Amino acid sequence: MSSYHRYHIETEPIPNLAGHPNRFVVKVRRVKLAELLIKELLRERFDLAVVASRPCVYGVFSRPIGGFAPKPQFCVGCLRCTVQYPDVVQIHPNPARLELGDSFMTPDQVDTILYEAASGRVPVRGAGYRGPFAGPGWDGLWTDMSEIVRPTRDGIHGREFISTSVDLGSKPAFLDFDSSGNPTGATPKTIILPIPCLFDPPPTTVSDRQVWRAFSEAAGALKTLMVLPVRSMLELALQGPQFAPVVTPANLADLDRLSEPPRMIELEGWQPEAFEQLQRAFPKAVVGIRMPYSDEVVELARRGVGLLHLTADYHGGTGRGFVMDAIRAAHESLVAEGLREQVTLVGSGGIAAAEHVPKAILCGLDAVALDTPLLIALQGRFRGECADPLTAEVEFPALRPAWGAQRLCNLVASWRDQLLEILGAMGLREVRRLRGELGRAMFHADLEREAFASIQGFEG
Amino acid sequence: MSESAMDRITKKHTQALRQGFSRWPKEGFAPPALGDLRWTADLILATWLQAEVGEPPRNGLRYQVGSSGGGFDRLRFRWSPEEEWLPDRDSIDTSLQLNRRPSGPRITIPVPWYGAGMSFGSVSEQVMTARAMAAQRWDTFTSTGEGGYPDALIPYREHVITQIATGMFGVREETMQRARILEFKYAQGAKPGLGGHLLGDKATLAVAKMRESVPWVSLFSPFPFHSVYSVEDHRKHIDWVKTVNPDALVVVKVSTPTDVDMVAIGSYHAGANILQIDGSYGGTGAAPEIAKKNIAMPVEYAIPKVHRYLLQEGVRDEILIMASGGIRTAHDIAKAVALGADGCVLGTCELIALGCTRCSNCERGRGCPFGLTTTDPELSLLVDPEWGAQRIGNLYRSFQNQLRKILRQLGLSRVADLRGRLDLLQYDAGNGMSHEWTSEVVPALDGVS
Repeated sequence: MSSYHRYHIETEPIPNLAGHPNRFVVKVRRVKLAELLIKELLRERFDLAVVASRPCVYGVFSRPIGGFAPKPQFCVGCLRCTVQYPDVVQIHPNPARLELGDSFMTPDQVDTILYEAASGRVPVRGAGYRGPFAGPGWDGLWTDMSEIVRPTRDGIHGREFISTSVDLGSKPAFLDFDSSGNPTGATPKTIILPIPCLFDPPPTTVSDRQVWRAFSEAAGALKTLMVLPVRSMLELALQGPQFAPVVTPANLADLDRLSEPPRMIELEGWQPEAFEQLQRAFPKAVVGIRMPYSDEVVELARRGVGLLHLTADYHGGTGRGFVMDAIRAAHESLVAEGLREQVTLVGSGGIAAAEHVPKAILCGLDAVALDTPLLIALQGRFRGECADPLTAEVEFPALRPAWGAQRLCNLVASWRDQLLEILGAMGLREVRRLRGELGRAMFHADLEREAFASIQGFEG
Repeated sequence: MSESAMDRITKKHTQALRQGFSRWPKEGFAPPALGDLRWTADLILATWLQAEVGEPPRNGLRYQVGSSGGGFDRLRFRWSPEEEWLPDRDSIDTSLQLNRRPSGPRITIPVPWYGAGMSFGSVSEQVMTARAMAAQRWDTFTSTGEGGYPDALIPYREHVITQIATGMFGVREETMQRARILEFKYAQGAKPGLGGHLLGDKATLAVAKMRESVPWVSLFSPFPFHSVYSVEDHRKHIDWVKTVNPDALVVVKVSTPTDVDMVAIGSYHAGANILQIDGSYGGTGAAPEIAKKNIAMPVEYAIPKVHRYLLQEGVRDEILIMASGGIRTAHDIAKAVALGADGCVLGTCELIALGCTRCSNCERGRGCPFGLTTTDPELSLLVDPEWGAQRIGNLYRSFQNQLRKILRQLGLSRVADLRGRLDLLQYDAGNGMSHEWTSEVVPALDGVS
């Protein structure tokens, strides 16, 4: 009997708890509207069916008194009303939206995440792209597509059969066997996650236990891992297979207080003795090092570290450029040394939208640990800049863990579906194949140089 | 509701809309929420104005470029010294021969562009008819898109391209045989590699009948053709349509992957007459937002890549390259040609001419509130085909005049001579937002302040 089980995330509509600014402000000059209606009544000889026919098909000027009490929450910004009646109505972008997010997480990204968290669906809209041609960071990267290669010839698009599973842990370059055929040396020690996304903990300033519980329940439902300090696990009584505790050399003993041995442990910073101690104490667990992006990646891989969780700040800052470039550098240095298959790279920081996940994997990560998007999904409002995990302040509505967990599941479901769109377009059957596939990445600077180098004024 | 009440309601709204399209470009300011970086409020209003009067604006609207900060918006022309300008503009040749191969029919269009595929279902029959009427009057073409071939287009059959896409909706021998050009849509720039998607709300009875499907059920076009998994399969595909209609020219519409040059040479060897490269910033009736920005390259980069490769292979003059996916203005057309295309395929700018505000709600509920991307029986009445054809024709006239003006100031007597002339372009090393885009002299317009 086949053990195949198709991974599926249950989604359900979960509306926002707190108010959210409308996209548009509807301004109506009521005197002008009254004049217009009187003119129309006279012109149409009091045919109310004609006079009452409104220009809005979305209900902004619907009953009971139409434009005299417009409903801006229904406005989608089509502008038909203002095109038809410039003297009566104007539609303005809502300035309150500018307060959403911060200098990295844009109001549009906040809007999108809230839609994804509320619906679990892929955002689909008409018309073409509306933004800047390219930009710094992730906006300087396009993924490739294939005209004819498909993940599989089955199904409508083939994407129904794409795997998003990833392996975390170490895989030796080769296996040794004794004369009986039994492996004698290092063997693969990995855990498989059904999605290439883990949860990073909320900022340390977040004291609302319901938020932590929402994270915890969602990680369990998604069969992924929530990374969090072991002290927080103990203080909040969060225990279960979905947790990957973070420890420092000073608090290794706290792991003994957990009710069950963890599947994955992250050691904060490289400390060889502590690393060895953890490996001995938890032989079945994947033990990784959590550290900022650095040149030590190759050295640690050589010393047998099978998982590196590389951290940037929430804005993707690494102290050595944007996280996209730091991921590439780490990945390429491991490839150059022939060590890439022996270590898993998990990265966090700088992920603010669904497309950033495949782009980060394309640049070289095996999996992404999500942070700020999870906060936004729970309608967290940033208080000032949300860049430093130690100091960032986020305000949440009064929430129930079940509400939050479903919002997080919806968000991840939507992001997974969007990952499938990218993989389908590229003709890849599993996300493992996307990792570090830089030949299928198109960088703005490279394309611009190739296309425009001979044009006068181009300086590359 | 009685028929007459419906007529009066439609009349009330169409009159008000048309007054608005005419008035807003002359107000001196734009609706506050209009426009985006690619299609700025100025560009939209300038397109409305051109659709009304057939000439570019003289009232300060910036009609040449958008504010995206890259691609066409960072390129401008290196005009010749004034003494080298051609004496007159009207004799400049903007025509395009569509078949560069030794065999097959010769088809020449007077302007280096034709209309892009927009399917019945994604747009209304009225919009399709308006576009076909404009194509007929300008002796160029428009494409059915993948939603079938409405009977209303038959009178314009000489100027309608039958598109064959992966869903094969409405593709029949008679629709293939009545076309002078057949178009294979392999991919679409706005959603490359993802196939098509018509949401259930827009699959009305008429649409479903045309597409031979079930009403109110979402329709997917698979990706890719499940009969084509190699260049050899592609060749067989073209052989098939040439068997059905031996006299037709064949367009192959593809997106812009990193190996778009290889795709191009494959299409050449498979027998295509025209390669349409659809860049990633093109339009769509509905697409996942993640697809619009992040998959495949903008057409500005794909054009020189393909042009150079086909030159190296020695086949450049046997296949036509048409660029699409983000062509907004006459200046974009000229820049695309200077980068290496032969001509362009226009989509969104034609819808803007008909009143589109780029609000991105094409897929929502009843569809476009301006009656464009909708099949709603009431909303679609907002576009009268004759009115629409006139506006698209006016836009074409403005584009042709501007193109001639550009060529004149570059000292070129034929648009064909501009192809691949990267030396006539200047890269804006600033932020791509400069307002000094043109030194061309545009005559004042009567009646436009």
